[in-house]
Amino acid sequence: MTRRLHTCLPGPRTAHALAAAIAATALLAGCASPQAPVTDRVVLLPQTGGSASAVELVAGGQRLRLDQPYASAVLQAGVLSAATSDAATVAQRYGALLAVQPARPRSFVIPFEANANRLTPAAAPLLAELRAALALLPAAEVIVIGHTDRVGSVEANDKLSLLRAQAVGDLLVAAGVDRSLITVLGRGERAPLVPTADEVAEARNRRVEIKVR
Amino acid sequence: MFLQPAYLAAALCAACLPNAAHAQAAVGAAATAADNGANAAGIVKRSLGNVTLERAGQVQAVKPGMAVRMGDVLRTGADGAAGITLSDDTLLTAGPGSELVISDYRFDPVSHDGNVLASLWRGTLSVVTGLIGKKAPEKVNVQTRSLVLGSRGTEFIVETGGVAP
Repeated sequence: MTRRLHTCLPGPRTAHALAAAIAATALLAGCASPQAPVTDRVVLLPQTGGSASAVELVAGGQRLRLDQPYASAVLQAGVLSAATSDAATVAQRYGALLAVQPARPRSFVIPFEANANRLTPAAAPLLAELRAALALLPAAEVIVIGHTDRVGSVEANDKLSLLRAQAVGDLLVAAGVDRSLITVLGRGERAPLVPTADEVAEARNRRVEIKVR
Repeated sequence: MFLQPAYLAAALCAACLPNAAHAQAAVGAAATAADNGANAAGIVKRSLGNVTLERAGQVQAVKPGMAVRMGDVLRTGADGAAGITLSDDTLLTAGPGSELVISDYRFDPVSHDGNVLASLWRGTLSVVTGLIGKKAPEKVNVQTRSLVLGSRGTEFIVETGGVAP
């Protein structure tokens, strides 16, 4: 009883109080006074692009699913409950946090001539844009990712996609990108832009993506 | 500096002549990079104020460009904050007064298979899930002392008082 009263009291949180709060979740169901410490908060943010998004929370045997933008959860005296937040509250409470979030990765697809390792004239402005984006990124990374269509074996396409990525990596270096920033990899036929049956030639799937972050 | 081997491998591959023998070697190198990914989970992109990283008992000041490995403890002061980009594009940002550990991390850049478990023992954490979450949302989890959060493809913020039990 002493413990229960203690956890319900306002004031500085102590390890003892929290341990008691967690251990006594069932007892505390009726005593989540406004003064009880909120130990945890979760806010689901709107997904960029507006696609569906959710988080599922588990705390002391309680479950809660958040699946709407700004849906929120509060864990107070061991009790998990739903709440709602909004853009203004998030900006006020977490503005300093979100201001330090790293830049979202950005992808470029640089066109180059079929069956040759030469850039097309259309590539020049894209390369300039890529270099400008890189210059603004702290601790910048460039990931060059080769892709193939589904003609040939998975293994052969892994190799081919890596060769394409290496060729584009070399072109980037020739265009002034610092080689030490570049990682090349080949994803073969795993990620087609246009899904096809096996052994179908599809030019749009033969491509190299350059991701900067 | 921890990144140098991976960068070097990439640079060597990019430099090598495009022939089948080298491609074979480079496929091997890609696999190695994935293995390294288990150690070098990500890179600090931004940091503000007092931020430290503890690895194997050694504490060092954090600067952008520093690698973050599985098991590292990132701590931010009252004026501090830090943003990390994991190798699968997951963005983890720790706000002031935080303690964050990448407790588990694995990512294969070719298959996109992997998993991530971030532990926020104190403070605030914003998460933008990346390629692991895109392929298998249930493989991205965040825990505090009091709750476990499973993402389903998403951006969210977690805050915890995080007093040790």
